Amino acid sequence: MKLDDKQKLSIENFSIKLKKNILDMALQAGSNSAHIGGAFSLADIVACLYSSIMKIDKNNPENIERDRFILSKGHACLVLYSALMEVGIIDKNEINTFEGDDSDLPGHPVINRKKGIEFSNGSLGMGLSVGIGVSIGLKKRKKNNKVYVVLGDGECNEGSIWEAAMAASKFELNNLTAIIDKNNFQQTGSTNEIMRNDNLIEKWSSFGWNCQEIDGHNIDQIYSSLKSSNANNKPKLILANTIKGKSLKFAENKNEWHHSVLTKKFYDEALKDIKYE
Amino acid sequence: MDKYKKIFQDSLNISPENFSDNLKYNDIPEWDSIGHMTLMAALEENYKISIDTDDIVDFSSFKKGIAILKKYNVNI
Amino acid sequence: MNNFFTDGNFKLWSMLGSRASLGLAALEISKTNENFLVLTSDVSTSAGLDRFRKQLPQKYLDVGIAEQNLIGIATGLASEGFDVVTTTFAPFQTLRCCEQIKVNLSYMKQKVTMVGLASGLILGNLGYTHCSIEDIGVLRSLPNLTIVSPADPAESVKALFAAIKHKESVYIRLTGGSNNPQIYNTNYNFNIGKAIKLREGKDVLLVACGTMVKTALDCSEILGDQGINAEVLNMHTIKPIDKEQLKKSIIKKKLIVTIEEHNVIGGLGSAVSEMISGENNSPKKISFGIKDEYSKGGSYAFLKKKFGLEAKDISKTIMKEINNNG
Repeated sequence: MKLDDKQKLSIENFSIKLKKNILDMALQAGSNSAHIGGAFSLADIVACLYSSIMKIDKNNPENIERDRFILSKGHACLVLYSALMEVGIIDKNEINTFEGDDSDLPGHPVINRKKGIEFSNGSLGMGLSVGIGVSIGLKKRKKNNKVYVVLGDGECNEGSIWEAAMAASKFELNNLTAIIDKNNFQQTGSTNEIMRNDNLIEKWSSFGWNCQEIDGHNIDQIYSSLKSSNANNKPKLILANTIKGKSLKFAENKNEWHHSVLTKKFYDEALKDIKYE
Repeated sequence: MDKYKKIFQDSLNISPENFSDNLKYNDIPEWDSIGHMTLMAALEENYKISIDTDDIVDFSSFKKGIAILKKYNVNI
Repeated sequence: MNNFFTDGNFKLWSMLGSRASLGLAALEISKTNENFLVLTSDVSTSAGLDRFRKQLPQKYLDVGIAEQNLIGIATGLASEGFDVVTTTFAPFQTLRCCEQIKVNLSYMKQKVTMVGLASGLILGNLGYTHCSIEDIGVLRSLPNLTIVSPADPAESVKALFAAIKHKESVYIRLTGGSNNPQIYNTNYNFNIGKAIKLREGKDVLLVACGTMVKTALDCSEILGDQGINAEVLNMHTIKPIDKEQLKKSIIKKKLIVTIEEHNVIGGLGSAVSEMISGENNSPKKISFGIKDEYSKGGSYAFLKKKFGLEAKDISKTIMKEINNNG
């Protein structure tokens, strides 16, 4: 499915807004630091999902017809909260409580369906299993809703991910899409240094998934991979090659920006980098 | 004999038409391990006996059961 | 539903043992609950679920030997409004996927009923990888999780029915094997969180759970012959523990005794100690259980004897204590 120029521009603008919101929250978080790098690598994908792909009802976030988004790499929650604000489910006052005391928006998502947060995530390796349970449930109820689970590439070190990968194809979950944000870094270093996990396309294919590899910052590719139909009753895996800290000149591929403090100085530079007007 | 047959048919949920004297454990889905215990419980209840574990295990067919029940002074 | 809790069925369940009885209970629940699902990790036969699997394949999911995934999938289904029961052997049901239990059932409060098969020492001849002497202790420290240890197969059935209706996730800890002594032979009121007094007594309080309830009853007989009057409480729900009943039962007692097929650290004994330590004039307490070790394996009878969990040994210790302290 191809995007026309107008749609494409709309998604690109949505992505810029997401990035602006992330920067605002990170600045607000101050010395608590924020998981900036991994949120930025996902911004284009999340922009596409929330602006153009997923069925969302901003007036009733718990609408049973909604598609489900599960951020298994929960530390990227800045991008989720941003998206929820952009679609109108939460507002600026809420966003300003990020990581505050008694906040509904802590540094990893906490289940809050009224605010569009499907599950609590953050302990890596758990979200795909839960997504499978949801997908099975939707099929049993004969519903056509889709389930999208975002995984980190470092997260694919966890054995529980592979338990889930096996099960998704056994249960023929063609309503389930897993997206791997392959930004080639994890907490203390590159994925190659910490735990080499190559050939993800071959691995997931051998587990029975329909696999596609895309540039995670190419809006056309993101859109068409998400829109493409899913053959043979298999779940879909999108391996998105991304850049940690994408758009931020001071942060791209620099792992110190996995979780760090955003000062006003960097904030101002960032606004220029993302072309926010 | 009629009473014995009826206990079998009731415990294992088989109609008289589908019942045969040659019935053995696991011949039919109803006579699985659960059906077996249901049958044993019913025999104990009806004949006021308590069947040993070894005999519960040995009780592998309708006909074998007749021989086993003799040990408990139940003559079919 | 009333037809299910007949005296005949109580007898049948005691002959079948807890696992197969739960298989029958699952079939019965499915008759009136279309949201009911059973999930396992490759244990259908061992779990007494053969019939369920064959008769209701669309209500049964086997996720293979993958317990973390088991809890995750159960959570996803529960979030979609299904009433989910998971089951596998107790160590794998509780420890292998402990963090999933914490995040999904405790933290996110998604409601799942977990059944731990063959907990305690029943599989001692297979070694301690297949025994569970830690499950109550570990799970007790997770909020929003109820823990039930039924005394006999009939109580296991009652527990399952109650758990399905319960407001939060429940862990049902099955102990004993297929020759489980029968405590209950006719229908009775079972309520999660409400201990059941099986014997009145003024001298000593015996608090037990699971198969040790029968042991406690046997102790009360032995003690009675020696002129010691023992009250027996079936504390089937270890969390939340029945504080009200304990408060009443400890009054004027010379000794409190807990008996469990579990480490003396963390389980029923600890839960009771925690509660009574806050009470004025609470009597001395002795805990019977496994003394914080993994011994060499052996038969169920051998291990119970080894850990001093036979009624005559427990009674001897109690009598000595009473006689020494008047």
